Amino acid sequence: MTFSDWLAEPVNWAFLALALPMTVAAVRVVTSRNVVHAALFLVLTLAASAGLFILLSAEFVAWVLVLVYIGAVIVLFLFGIMITRAPIGRETDLSHAGRWPAALASLAVLALTLWLITAVSGQVEGFDGPLPAVGVATDSAILGEGFIMRYLIPFEAVGFILLAALIGGITLARKDLTPAEEEEAERV
Amino acid sequence: MDLDYHALAPEIVVAATILLVLGLDVALPRRRKYWTAFAGVVGLTLAAVPLVTLALGGGPGARSMLGGGYVVDDFALVLKAVFIAGGYLVLLMSVSYIESDRYYQGEYYLLLLTSILGSLIMASSRDLITVFVGLELVTGPLFLLAGWRKGDARSNEASLKFFILGVLSTAVLLYGMSFLYGLTGSVTFEGIRTAGAGLLDSGAFRLAVLFTLIGFGFKITAVPFHFWAPDTYEGAPTPVTAYLSVGSKAAGFVGLLLLCYRAFPSVTEIWGPALWVLAALSMTLGNLTALRQDNIVRMLAYSSIAQGGFILVPFAAAAVTNDPLVIQEAASATIVYVIIYAFMNLGAFAVVIEGARRTGTSMIDGWAGMWRYAPRLAVLGAVFFFSLAGIPPLAGWYAKFAMFLAILRPGNPWTAALAVIAAVNAVIALVYYARVGKTMWMDPLPDGASDGERTARPMSGALALALGISVIFVILAGVLPFQLAGVFAEAAKVVTAGI
Repeated sequence: MTFSDWLAEPVNWAFLALALPMTVAAVRVVTSRNVVHAALFLVLTLAASAGLFILLSAEFVAWVLVLVYIGAVIVLFLFGIMITRAPIGRETDLSHAGRWPAALASLAVLALTLWLITAVSGQVEGFDGPLPAVGVATDSAILGEGFIMRYLIPFEAVGFILLAALIGGITLARKDLTPAEEEEAERV
Repeated sequence: MDLDYHALAPEIVVAATILLVLGLDVALPRRRKYWTAFAGVVGLTLAAVPLVTLALGGGPGARSMLGGGYVVDDFALVLKAVFIAGGYLVLLMSVSYIESDRYYQGEYYLLLLTSILGSLIMASSRDLITVFVGLELVTGPLFLLAGWRKGDARSNEASLKFFILGVLSTAVLLYGMSFLYGLTGSVTFEGIRTAGAGLLDSGAFRLAVLFTLIGFGFKITAVPFHFWAPDTYEGAPTPVTAYLSVGSKAAGFVGLLLLCYRAFPSVTEIWGPALWVLAALSMTLGNLTALRQDNIVRMLAYSSIAQGGFILVPFAAAAVTNDPLVIQEAASATIVYVIIYAFMNLGAFAVVIEGARRTGTSMIDGWAGMWRYAPRLAVLGAVFFFSLAGIPPLAGWYAKFAMFLAILRPGNPWTAALAVIAAVNAVIALVYYARVGKTMWMDPLPDGASDGERTARPMSGALALALGISVIFVILAGVLPFQLAGVFAEAAKVVTAGI
């Protein structure tokens, strides 16, 4: 397939429209000197990747990304910055001293991933024909059934991970009472 | 739904215990919080009952459910028994330690039990999703427990280092697993094995296998993925360190056994050399660094890295042969080593907890002349440290014997070289284990220490029970090893079946 063939497909225009801003936003997340701006660029990156999932007909994953990451995690970031009265605005000491080795490492990972994906395409088991799910959204009923039937035990186990994380996290983060305050609390 | 409630009973009992501990923690006044430990101990004892009934009444057929993703067979039963026994010992070791300071007791036991539940799930998991979630359930609570001494900066550092490297390893593991699924179209180990046979030339498949191994390498603290271990072990509360070095490590080995023998038997030329290198590096670097430690907890941290290397050795033997009997023997050697290591290392940590309480220091020098004021503790210390070194008739000798037997069986130059490396390391290890024994038995008391002051405080009953159970196991397994090995051979047969 030549590049012009590839461009003739309208879905690939949509891909470009999502992927290019996503890449720019992802770079800006790291290079931005303002924490709030970095968080907002992260919103853009996540929103574009949600769009990519919709292109792959995985709409459930896309909406989970929007609800959980954009809706909860990033909002928590922003609230965290506002509530802790951390400096909002330009900062000079955000860059780490080892940023060039880090950039090299991430480029190496990128090269490895690209190589993997090009090596993999063409030899994927059972996918030699047209992709089976093109244009059909994955039914979230199937996913829901998977959660409580086939993957019941991992699903329950995730529940326990969340319970442990919540309780342990609160215990570590809460302010300890002094012995005197504790006795006070016992008496009440 | 094809749920087999008898087979799931241990998990259900532990899960119910977790919720009970949560409820008790809310209801109990502060001075009765130790009841949550009691509830945990009773719950784990009850969870062991269905294991016995399953082993006796189950017959040879494995109980498989959820589309083959969750299986209760001999392998799962043996390892669940080890995880429950190990968890039981750690709970007993924790009681007086956690009570001695202003820790959050109820939450502590809740997190410990959650981690034990995760290891139970791992032993039965037969697909990538269950094994991954099980592994996270094992390590997740431990990130928090490592930082349980909130006021201590070293404990905070322990938790943070463990968390950041743990998350990194999880990312690498998950990346490998996602490629495995993408390439084979299957999440079950059986499916990956069948599809993997057709992907032998695929570089991507090999890379996916390597990523998965690296992910587990962090969990079992194999060199060069071990940097977090010494600082985390030293900073975490000692019972948590004991659990980290045994429970979470054994869970990592269970995952490695399942993946190598059940999911990747077709690519032994990938994981064989990789694990050969990890084993050789872990043994050598772990032991050489352990030689130079003054702090007994740090010494045990490096020694547990080295012991992890010994446990990895039989994998290299299994990778170079097609003989199913040799492979089975290698798997059996790993399982036997993990089990014996669990008991002797927990025993050693129990001695460290009591020794540190008596002497007020975890520096090895501070323990000089311990036999004068704590003769029983000095005897127990000698038993566990010499068992770790592999001196007969203590259980450690059989673990090393089975390991050497497995690695020498294939008669390949590479495995022979690894056997030589292991033999040299066994000698190095003897030096630092024996040094602790010498300090306790032969060195004079440190200046300014009076006998009376150190004998005044008696040992807590729970810790004494933990020491008693481990010492009985270490001696029995050392005297009657072949009876013990017979039980584990069944487990090895199951895990290597179909190669």
